[in-house]
Amino acid sequence: MSDIMPESNTSESLRATVSSMLRGIDRYNPENLVTLEKYLEVQTEENTYDLEANLAILKLYQFNPSYNKVSVVEKVLLKALANMPHTDMVLCKCLMDMSLFDHSSIKAILHLHDLLETCSFPDFWVSPSSLALLVPVMLDYCCSLRDEDFLAQIPAIKEVAEFEESIRKYVCHVINNTYQNVDRKFLCQQLGLRGPEERCLQYYMAEYGWKLSSDDYVFIANQEESIKTKNITEKIDFENVAPILASWR
Amino acid sequence: MEYERQYAQKSSVPETVQNFIRSLQKAIDCGNVNDIQVLYETNYPKLTERFYSNSPWPHPEEIAQFINLPDCGVDSNFITLYKELYYRHMYAKVSNALNIDHRFDSYYNYCDLFNMVVRSTTPLTLELPNQWLWEIIDEFIYQFQSFSHFRSSMEKLSEDDLMKFHNSPKVWNVHSVLNVLHTLVDKSNINQQLEVYTNGGDPDTVAGEFGRYPLYKMLGYFSLVGLLRLHSLLGDYYQAIKVLENIELNKKSLYSRVPACQISSYYYVGFAYMMMRRYADAIRTFSSVLLYIQRTRCLFFYKTYQTAQVDKQTEQMYHLLAICLSLYPQRIDESVLLQLRDKMGDKMLRMQQRNMDEFVSCFTFACPKFLSPVYPCSGQDGEHPDPKMATARLESVLLQGPFNQQLKVFKDEVAQQLALPTIRSYLKLYTTMPIAKLETFSFPLLLPPVEPLNLPPLEPPPPKEMEETEAQTKARLDQTETWNKNKAERKLQEQLYMDQCEEWERAAEKFPATLLANLLCFKSYLKICSFNPQATPPLRPR
Repeated sequence: MSDIMPESNTSESLRATVSSMLRGIDRYNPENLVTLEKYLEVQTEENTYDLEANLAILKLYQFNPSYNKVSVVEKVLLKALANMPHTDMVLCKCLMDMSLFDHSSIKAILHLHDLLETCSFPDFWVSPSSLALLVPVMLDYCCSLRDEDFLAQIPAIKEVAEFEESIRKYVCHVINNTYQNVDRKFLCQQLGLRGPEERCLQYYMAEYGWKLSSDDYVFIANQEESIKTKNITEKIDFENVAPILASWR
Repeated sequence: MEYERQYAQKSSVPETVQNFIRSLQKAIDCGNVNDIQVLYETNYPKLTERFYSNSPWPHPEEIAQFINLPDCGVDSNFITLYKELYYRHMYAKVSNALNIDHRFDSYYNYCDLFNMVVRSTTPLTLELPNQWLWEIIDEFIYQFQSFSHFRSSMEKLSEDDLMKFHNSPKVWNVHSVLNVLHTLVDKSNINQQLEVYTNGGDPDTVAGEFGRYPLYKMLGYFSLVGLLRLHSLLGDYYQAIKVLENIELNKKSLYSRVPACQISSYYYVGFAYMMMRRYADAIRTFSSVLLYIQRTRCLFFYKTYQTAQVDKQTEQMYHLLAICLSLYPQRIDESVLLQLRDKMGDKMLRMQQRNMDEFVSCFTFACPKFLSPVYPCSGQDGEHPDPKMATARLESVLLQGPFNQQLKVFKDEVAQQLALPTIRSYLKLYTTMPIAKLETFSFPLLLPPVEPLNLPPLEPPPPKEMEETEAQTKARLDQTETWNKNKAERKLQEQLYMDQCEEWERAAEKFPATLLANLLCFKSYLKICSFNPQATPPLRPR
């Protein structure tokens, strides 16, 4: 397989290689794993995402348990976590090798997933330091956001957009759909912005069009406006009933 | 000799059965699909019931004696087809007599059958009714599933069996099964055909040399459904749904004329949707197929061996629908709802009351028989499995493992959503209440509100008069003193009240307001969004 892959594997060509790899029966060829794992690496570095390729990795592990690599599964799961509110995590859980469920780092990720699913965001943010400990892969990303010179990076916040950033996107998505007015402090808590980081709230408010309604409250959206009446389509049109009506005359 | 042989035939195989087999062969030779259909769908089950309800049909070698075997190759094809029927019947009716050799033999016969179809350089002229083709693919996967379970039940296996497994690792291997299905799909160009068909074009334009023939086209189509099933059994719901990307289930099409196939596809699609938390899609899928079954029951389901399977699947789908509706209440078709209430009323009630055991028991009944693609020895390249290793624990892991894993995922899902019905009921309650009223109530059901502090105004002591008697001075001083005392007391009360309020607010913060966030689907209820402890501090003295 590896000879197909050009030496200068830009992520674009890698993507093309992978997608051709996944067509037909060849997707079950364990030799693909090298490329797929490499592709996952690129995804974590460049913050791109390809669910199908990642599931293919898990599937190959399922068929060939001796190839299983916990570190790879961790990354697959974290990428799935970063893609919430999509239910990618569930798909991964269904395909993962059963023995992995007892692995401490996997357990930690599953716990984080649980917290996010039940919208226990403050609890989630309390654990990033422990997250960093449990999940060495993500250590770098966590550090980049927790650094002291973090504030200096605010304009560049989009460039460092990685794991935590993706999670914040999910939180914002939930807030956006749920609240009308919300306490500023509460909001910061949900987004895991603490101390000086609270200033970052400006960024999210701008991004999502939230406005400060008073000193303490943030106006999210007028949810009443977004209520849509259900469209009832009539399956019976007048022409169908016309003869019946006519017979009444 | 001639006489002897005929005599032997007569004694073992009844004349009617011989006639049936001969006419079946003739019909297949002439490519007369209508005849084949009648023989296969009507006569075959009748004869089975009459002669072979609990014994196998005549062995293929026996029937070779009384059918004409001309020189051309077509008729060894007939034996292959007959063998398929023979083993299928054995699996269904005399499964306790099945041994490992039968399983292997049946597998090799499938290899012959599919090789005959796929390896041929020109398209086969063979034509079979759709029902039969569907049952071939369906049975192929069923036997794979059955083999996996057989292989995983270590205790029942003799050393001899294990040796056989070891010597032929390819037999009923998941890769072999996938390979067959993928090859049939590719050979028939079915995906391209379906794509063109869906866009209103003529599928023949892309069908290619083979795909134009009904045999290849339909085998390709059924293989897609087969892949759906296989992926579901392995827990790969993403692929399961993806495999059907070119099939529009809800659209009546050329391809949907085999009811058992329709029902089976809906079952697996619905199940996959449920596992992916696409409840709305699952509910739509289940209720439409259950409606279809209700309406067409009497038309379609005469006695094929699949009737029992359809019945079971119908029952399972009612269970799955009940699960989905408990997690994601919505309106469904009236007549399906009626049936559902009838069958599942108690169970649904328990599930709505967040009874996890009920969820588990419904899931256990309704889920497909999950399987593991690997066995203990296949992981350890070529090492002979030590039968002593086959402990009961290992067996439970192998047999129950895949099921337990899916069950665990399902339970996690349900647990995450268990609070939703309660929250939903509060939200429902509050939609009928104007916000103004709501504000005065706060959320009494969730947190006992702090009693408002209703103290009478304190009377300040009278001001000092210019001239006052001693008694007046004394009274004034007394009053001032009580006033001061009262003031101190009031301050204490207020402090207490403030504390209570603060405590209330702290409690309010813990209220699962964040959980509300999970209610994305109930957006319409969210007009009471100010119903959130932070936004509505109703009792705070200002």
